[in-house]
Amino acid sequence: MGRDKYPRQSLGTLHSRIKQSRILMVGAGGIGCELLKNLVLTGFGEIHVVDLDTIDLSNLNRQFLFRHEHIKKSKALVAKESAGKFNPNVKIEAYHANIKDPQFNVDWFKSFAIVFNALDNLDARRHVNRMCLAADVPLIESGTTGFNGQVQVIKKGKTECYDCAGPRETPKSFPVCTIRSTPSQPIHCIVWAKSYLFTEIFGTSEDEAPELDHSESSDNAKEIENLQKETQALKKIRESMGSEEFPRKVFEKVFKDDIERLRSMEDMWKNRRPPEPLDYDAISQEALGVGPSIVRQDQVVWTVAENFAVFLNSLRRLSDRLEELRANADTGNAPPILTFDKDDEDTLDFVAASANLRSHIFGIETRSKFDIKQMAGNIIPAIATTNAMTAGLCVLQAFKVMRDDLNKARMVFLVRSTDRVIGSEVLRPPRPDCPVCSVVSSRLEVDASRATLGQLVDDFLRMQLGYGEEFSVSSEAGILYDPELDDNLSKSFSDLGLKNGSFITIVDEEDESPRVDLVLSISEQSLPDDMKPIHLAEKLEIPRKPKTAAPQTVNGSHDVAVTNGVSGSLGDGVTGKRKRDATDAGLEDEQIRKRGKVAEEPPKDDDVVVLEDSTNGAIFIDDD
Amino acid sequence: MEEPLTETTPPILQDDEKRGRNMTDNFASGLLAASRPRGSSCIGQFTILDSAEVTEADLGVNFFLEPDDVGKFRAERTCALLEELNPDVQGHCNTEPVEYFLTQSSDTHPLRPFTHILVIAPIVPELLADIVSHCLTTSKPLFYIHCVGFYSDFSVQLPSAFPIVDTHPDPTATTDLRLLTPWPALSALVEEKTRDLDSMNAHEHGHVPYVLIILHFLEVWKETHDGQVPSNYREKSDFKELVRKGMRTNNPEGGEENFEEAIAAVLKSLNPSTPSSAVKEVFEAEECKNLTHDSPHFWVIAHAISEFYKAHNALPLPGSIPDMKAQSADYIQLQNVYKTKAREDVAEVTATVRELAKQHGHLTQVDEKEIEAFCKNAAHIKLVRGRPINPAFPGQKLKWGQRAKAAVSALTKPDSLILVHIAFLAYDEFCASHDADALAGAPRAPGSEDSEVEFDAEKMTGIANTIIDNLINEAGTRIEEPDYSDIGVRVAQYVQEIVRAGGGGELHNIAALTGGMIAQEVIKVVTKQYVPVDNTCVFDGVGSRTEVLRLGADSVL
Repeated sequence: MGRDKYPRQSLGTLHSRIKQSRILMVGAGGIGCELLKNLVLTGFGEIHVVDLDTIDLSNLNRQFLFRHEHIKKSKALVAKESAGKFNPNVKIEAYHANIKDPQFNVDWFKSFAIVFNALDNLDARRHVNRMCLAADVPLIESGTTGFNGQVQVIKKGKTECYDCAGPRETPKSFPVCTIRSTPSQPIHCIVWAKSYLFTEIFGTSEDEAPELDHSESSDNAKEIENLQKETQALKKIRESMGSEEFPRKVFEKVFKDDIERLRSMEDMWKNRRPPEPLDYDAISQEALGVGPSIVRQDQVVWTVAENFAVFLNSLRRLSDRLEELRANADTGNAPPILTFDKDDEDTLDFVAASANLRSHIFGIETRSKFDIKQMAGNIIPAIATTNAMTAGLCVLQAFKVMRDDLNKARMVFLVRSTDRVIGSEVLRPPRPDCPVCSVVSSRLEVDASRATLGQLVDDFLRMQLGYGEEFSVSSEAGILYDPELDDNLSKSFSDLGLKNGSFITIVDEEDESPRVDLVLSISEQSLPDDMKPIHLAEKLEIPRKPKTAAPQTVNGSHDVAVTNGVSGSLGDGVTGKRKRDATDAGLEDEQIRKRGKVAEEPPKDDDVVVLEDSTNGAIFIDDD
Repeated sequence: MEEPLTETTPPILQDDEKRGRNMTDNFASGLLAASRPRGSSCIGQFTILDSAEVTEADLGVNFFLEPDDVGKFRAERTCALLEELNPDVQGHCNTEPVEYFLTQSSDTHPLRPFTHILVIAPIVPELLADIVSHCLTTSKPLFYIHCVGFYSDFSVQLPSAFPIVDTHPDPTATTDLRLLTPWPALSALVEEKTRDLDSMNAHEHGHVPYVLIILHFLEVWKETHDGQVPSNYREKSDFKELVRKGMRTNNPEGGEENFEEAIAAVLKSLNPSTPSSAVKEVFEAEECKNLTHDSPHFWVIAHAISEFYKAHNALPLPGSIPDMKAQSADYIQLQNVYKTKAREDVAEVTATVRELAKQHGHLTQVDEKEIEAFCKNAAHIKLVRGRPINPAFPGQKLKWGQRAKAAVSALTKPDSLILVHIAFLAYDEFCASHDADALAGAPRAPGSEDSEVEFDAEKMTGIANTIIDNLINEAGTRIEEPDYSDIGVRVAQYVQEIVRAGGGGELHNIAALTGGMIAQEVIKVVTKQYVPVDNTCVFDGVGSRTEVLRLGADSVL
């Protein structure tokens, strides 16, 4: 009886294919830890893992491949080390690197049977989506928000791609480094104020790291010591709550000392504006004239001095409340704590003012208390069990892909409902007007030192491919060329930042039957001098765009089954984003008006309405 | 979990019987991890009961176990590794066979120390029946779990009355503005703020809160409609037009956001606030009507609120208002009117609670906070009536009771997963009638010998068909051809798949997923937040979908 007895029995012939397969997992965080464990125990032969992040104390509650001694180490490398022990027959390769690095080019993606996305951000998801389309490798995309989760199978030319659904709102969970060290948006500072600062001062503090074996690695031990020191420092300050100097101590700790420490880590600020610490005495002078009524002006964006005044004031109010609770608490019980509630003015004032002060430090736009209330109320925690379920669903979908049973693969939703935990939907065909997947993609071999944009535009696109006058060329950075913009023509590819792995998009803008968009991925090569510096890797045929955006392709006789309208496998109330035909559209408008919040751009043509909820791709249909 | 978990450290027993290897780990690790973000609020203790020793095949499904563990007690190793995940949780293990553990002679039941119990199939039906009845008499939640090959299911046996206040309803469903029945303070505010609507400047007119706009135009409407409010779709549409006419359009935007908000809210907000059937079910429960000296707080408050409802024909006002276009001062004023009314309602309910406590000689004081939370969520409270899990004894008819008809109707739905559940019932019967060894201690799962796979599948299909026939008979109905044959074909496929897994083999991936689902349900039950599955959830790993079935016996055998 061997270790793969059960998978062999249940998976049959698929099991040997799984054992020989080579797969890629991008991201080793919440879903990634669960997924890697599942992949290893299912017996996938060779697994490559890429993750840029290092392990943080706050990951440990759900990312079970990591322990205290791993803090500050690479997620990918530690995940490999921990999960490698689960099955000696599986080979794991780990990369502590950014998936957008040029080493991970289209050819590299092509070497995998399946790619799994276990990412926490939109940008990397979209990048992997594009790479998988370009390499024509199936992608299993997944994500979770609180109790909700989603798994989607993406295959070029067969299914919708990640971008077919149109623009998405930024998801509401954030990497910890972003929160603790490198915030760039107001929400990052709000999460910091609510989940870190407030909890540390008034709530239950994070677990202390237990005694550690410092001999293992001096580098690592030092980091842990630093973290412990920080916890201790705040704790000590917390002990002085109620004293005259308490507010000043807190302020100087989090808005000056910690910021100076961050600022001293120069590597971090190479490409970012370094944070500017605040000076207590200077601001308190400015804040002299601020009256207590400021807290009621909740739709006005406060100045730094006003935020400072609210910070001190709310800190006092909260300290007093906690003191009173302590005075009245029975001895022997757990010490009383305060918890954040967006409807509790004291806690909201504190979080709003702290978040704004931090935003100011990092040069981020500050917000009104009213806005912050909305944003703070919507922060959804990551839940380990949702990750576990979602990771399990990813593997089940991978089985369909491995069996070439794409028409049995599904879009799977995890919803918090008592009637149904998991629901699934038939995969949709690619959207004919999707700017990412309904394009022709090819690979361009370029000698980047010699090739210029002018050569691309004239020699290659016009002469070789037969483009006319009206078209544009753009990269991820923006438009490089169009008929009104010819400044860049003499610049070389390297001057324009086009390097190995970059994408350029050519949009034909002729009025008469334009070509579909062309996406070229660049592969840098040093080509012999007698060869043209721009060279197409394979033969290319670029079809013309269909005359209309053709809803009949969506609803018509396609070989892939399509659900349309409200009927579908998720009938009662919860549905995914859906396309509807004209008969449904009237009803739809009514519902959009009623809900008020989901109305998107008006549809491009009258026949198709796409709805998407801002949080999880699920919309709720009112039953009245 | 979104909210801090307030329950104190319940010890949880997992009866691991002959398997449940990796599910236990995942289940427990999921549970620990899920409850971990708030340090003070996790499952306090757990005990794993499992007499098996680690085998090679275990290494393939249980990621915790290492080659060195082979031959050691599975419960011991797993428990130690689980504890590592969270030092705040105390793990215990017991390597006694379950039949010895349950039959030890003692004055108290061996399960007495535990607050929540999870049983992983297969288990001898007599032992399951003993656990079921112990849990029933002590009102302990019990979970009974199967996970074989690509399928899993679990049944939750809750106490016969399991009320939940903190159901976490969809936030859009919680707004209750009482626009059809404004109280005097609200009407006075409407009068004050809309009296000079026509003479307001553009800024003021564009910032009248939409709630006040609707209330204002309702008064206008009533003047021409015999004092009646718009009551049907057509009237509401006409009313929308009336509001639209009040909107100023001679501005750069061509309209006003606050009026648009008002128009958008008409259909949804102009409904009489009648309590849902779930709330009525609570009011009509015996436990609510007939309080005793030891009625749980939930019922005392529910009784007080039912009296409030009788007196006012409305539930206590939740008191929160949605965000809307308004000047801050007006918004706060409006908010205060709602909050004040909500506080008055809470005060009235509290007075009734105190009175009731005195009448019935209650010893424990109901906390003010508890009453307030109840009032705030009164429209969304839920009562789940737990039903006993039905052990499958070989050769005996299962009793489906009141749920027989619903079960039969599920049988005929081609996409229902009830046949997976029936296949698992057949699995239980098969195991119970086949011993792993001559000692008659441990049950043998179908498909455990390669040479007997076909034979076992045939036998198990026969058991499943008998279960189906008995169910149809108990419901007093018939299923015509070709549906009947179709059911037979489908159930045989599920049976085939379960037998193919070979001796009840688990797939790590399915077990991990199932463990995640169950962990979430356990957390719901422990914290009394959200509404738990009522009462059986089936997972089909081939189709990646679940179904929740309301099953369970009328009473324990």
